Amino acid sequence: MSTARAGGRWIRADLRARRGQATLTVLAVAGIVAALITAVTLLEDGTNPWRSLFAQTDGAHVWFYTKDNSAQVAGTRSLDGVTQMAGPYRSAPVTVVRDGKKQPAALRAMPATPPQVAHPVVAEGSWLDPAQADGVVVERSFARALRLRIGEPLAIIALSGERHPLYVRGIADSAEQGFYPAWAPGLAWVLPQTLDRIEPMLGRSEWVTGLRLADAEAAQVVSQRVVVTLDDQVQRLYTWREVRAAMELDNRLLGTLLALFGVVGLVAAALALANAAGGRVLGQLRDLATLKSMGFTAAQVALLLVVEHGALGLLGLALGTLAGWGFAVALLGATSVAPMPVLSIVAGTALVVLAAVGLPAWRGGRTPPIPAAPAQPLRGHLSRLAKLALLVRLPPALVLGSRDAFTRRVPAFLTAFGLAVPMMMITIGLGVWATLDNFANHPDQVGQHAALHVGPGKLESAAAEQLVKADKDVRAVYPAADVNALAAGEGRSVRVRAIGGSADPYPFPVVEGRMYGEPGEAVAGQGLLDLLGVRIGDRVRLTVGGSPLIVRIVGRAIEPDLDGEVLSVGLDSLAPKDSVPPEFYALALKPGADRGEVAARLLAQSSEGLDVQAVVNPADRLAIIRVLIVALIAVLALIGLANLLTASALGLRDHAFDLAVLKAMGLTPRQVMATLVTGTGLLVVLGVAVGAAAGASVVTWLIDLQGHTSGVGAGIGRPPSGLSLSIAVLVAVGTALAVALIPARRAARAQVPVTAR
Amino acid sequence: MTHAVLKTVNLVKVYSGGAVPVHAVRGVDLVVEPGEFIAVMGPSGSGKSTLVHMLGGLDARTSGEIWVDGKRADTLSESAWALLRRKKIGFVFQFFNLVANMTVTDNVELPALLGGASPRVARERREHLLGALNLTDRADASPAQLSGGEQQRVALARALANEPSVLLADEPTGNLDSRNTRDVLRLLSKVHKDGQTIIMVTHDARVAGLADRVICLLDGEIVDDGRIARRRTGTAGAVIDLR
Repeated sequence: MSTARAGGRWIRADLRARRGQATLTVLAVAGIVAALITAVTLLEDGTNPWRSLFAQTDGAHVWFYTKDNSAQVAGTRSLDGVTQMAGPYRSAPVTVVRDGKKQPAALRAMPATPPQVAHPVVAEGSWLDPAQADGVVVERSFARALRLRIGEPLAIIALSGERHPLYVRGIADSAEQGFYPAWAPGLAWVLPQTLDRIEPMLGRSEWVTGLRLADAEAAQVVSQRVVVTLDDQVQRLYTWREVRAAMELDNRLLGTLLALFGVVGLVAAALALANAAGGRVLGQLRDLATLKSMGFTAAQVALLLVVEHGALGLLGLALGTLAGWGFAVALLGATSVAPMPVLSIVAGTALVVLAAVGLPAWRGGRTPPIPAAPAQPLRGHLSRLAKLALLVRLPPALVLGSRDAFTRRVPAFLTAFGLAVPMMMITIGLGVWATLDNFANHPDQVGQHAALHVGPGKLESAAAEQLVKADKDVRAVYPAADVNALAAGEGRSVRVRAIGGSADPYPFPVVEGRMYGEPGEAVAGQGLLDLLGVRIGDRVRLTVGGSPLIVRIVGRAIEPDLDGEVLSVGLDSLAPKDSVPPEFYALALKPGADRGEVAARLLAQSSEGLDVQAVVNPADRLAIIRVLIVALIAVLALIGLANLLTASALGLRDHAFDLAVLKAMGLTPRQVMATLVTGTGLLVVLGVAVGAAAGASVVTWLIDLQGHTSGVGAGIGRPPSGLSLSIAVLVAVGTALAVALIPARRAARAQVPVTAR
Repeated sequence: MTHAVLKTVNLVKVYSGGAVPVHAVRGVDLVVEPGEFIAVMGPSGSGKSTLVHMLGGLDARTSGEIWVDGKRADTLSESAWALLRRKKIGFVFQFFNLVANMTVTDNVELPALLGGASPRVARERREHLLGALNLTDRADASPAQLSGGEQQRVALARALANEPSVLLADEPTGNLDSRNTRDVLRLLSKVHKDGQTIIMVTHDARVAGLADRVICLLDGEIVDDGRIARRRTGTAGAVIDLR
């Protein structure tokens, strides 16, 4: 008790004396912990909306599309492992028009009494009612994209081109497909009789069937059985895994990024904490000795230091936990935060904090209690290089400063390393930024050579082609079709994208192998290669609407869509039934042309007959990453600053004696200041340069690694531009020197005591 | 004769850190009676400071015995020494050694709190000490704002906060001008008159003149140990001088 009281006094006094540094420490730790908790929340399954949606809707595990509603389809109900069946529901492709924009949609027929399995859960409004035949219920993400509200009219254009006004009766959640626009077309439900009225032609619609399984893990097996049972009838098929993956895609990327920054940041923060505590202990050896001469034991001194420095870290930990928790709750809802991972982060960080301050505290505890004993004598001598530098009349301040920088090896290393780690992460952040910029500025390098996709809509294909080719801003027009192909062995569908001819291929960004040059050759995204377990040069067999598609994969292309599970071929590789007439035209615009203008012009010229869609750039979807990078750079800068303050204080302390000597030797205050600033500045330059170099050398590899695992494929990573990197380096060094300058200036001007400390 | 406050038997200190072992203290036998004021003199390097540091447990002895208040102390561990120092030993150093970040108040209350006094008792003791040392108006100042003499007076107040059995002073006036030296010495003799046992290292003969026993060290050995006959006004425990 008595020690606690006395120790408390000492801690309070010491913290008061270094408020700035203490605050920095707290903020840095808090920032890192907040980032880690947010990361874990994003990575944790709990944030994935799929799980709760699936439970709420009593979802189906396997979904497949057939051309007809045959008895065999109903027969899948009796497959092993299937407990219940949803559908078959009739589904027709339509276009919805909203604010002059057209979006593709699937109109699904569903009865007025929702089924037991895979029933949409109404979030707003009400479910379909036979009394209101013009009612439609829209899936929530689709409704949000269209900015639809209850009661609003929605114009539906059927394949025939006929326009049908419907009214939004409800907005509902479903676990049947991913969110719009990542998963297109959007989904809307109408009553069967309404669908019959809008699309009387049965041949233009499909039948959708969902199977609920006893065991979710059996989805793969069951889907293969479905394919075998129905033979060629299955148009496409997917399982709950694809739906879940589609819903979590962006969260995962963000989470990975945050986790990377968080973990490395934690190391940096621990280093900064150890550095700060160590520096403080070195600066306080005399006070610690005095405490011992008064009757503090070694263990008590060590405990005192652990409590003081550890408390800062733990305060930061508490603030960071609150902030991270609050952030996750605000962003993702109260149920999103999983307590176990958060607790383990808190415990882990607490351990790291205590370990980081433990060593300096132990060293402080071992201080000999004889107060007059000087701190360890400094070993430092002018190297031959330094002597040479003096001989050639380099400014003595520089020479002395560079000698000083390395007199204390361990703190010098800690300072340089402590700055190098944040700088490395900042460089990586800039690299991610540059990669996003590259996505946005060079969409052709991520497979988006074409800026617009134009469907014929009401027009005949030939007329549509003529119209788009005539536009002055269009550089090239590629006839194209997207079809779903069944990979038999996998029991699921993949996207086959056919654009342009095989001889005159659409410029897919091929990063491995070569571009396809004749029918029967294809390039694939990383995701597809991984999914099918094939390599470049292998042959794959897929089924497109019953007809086989056999292609040889000759290259790998960057593929930002659908987790890279896309096979790209020439249009002539597809069977004529799928490729003639082309489903849409991919328009590459002339440099400098505005896609909005071109789209508006095409719509005007076709009297709204064409179906014009702008291609969504992945950089737009990932815009939140930029916010994240800015926030993380701020936290990392705090860590760097904390390190710097330590280094500067330590340098000053080590030179309290030298200053008097230097002045006595005839150095002007300005030269003394330069000596001090050089001492710190050299370590800063070293740390920043090493960090930037390390960051620049790993950033491309890291982004490519992430690209590979996310299916986009390696080859997207870009190092930060030389300009932004040099600006970052200059700002870091400049700030560091400015921070070092203030105490150096004060020290150089101050009356230096010549007595012992 | 009462039992000795401090006693050493053949105390030896050898620094063996360097290439050649340095014999700083070679076989010192010393008995300090309660209420004595001893000045330890000697040239630089004669082992004065080492001796005093060993007496307070700041430095470990190489061989020999140290007895504090009738109990053997040289065999104590470092932390046991620390506990002993809280109650029995007060230190005053040449460079004051006030804790730089703490105010005068905190510096003086710290040992009292450490010794187990309640905050109220610590405050009362501090008020009393600062009043006696004429420092009441500087209570909230930080050490850096004080003159050398003031700092040493605060250090003295701090050393006396727990009413130690013995006050060890290592060149307490070594860093002071003559006026401040006089002030500090006056205080030392005042607390001595109140019965405080003091051992003071100095190499100033005038300062040593204040003590009632002077020990001279040379090369780590006691070469002279004599009582100074001094005029004393009658106080409890005073030595009666016969001229």
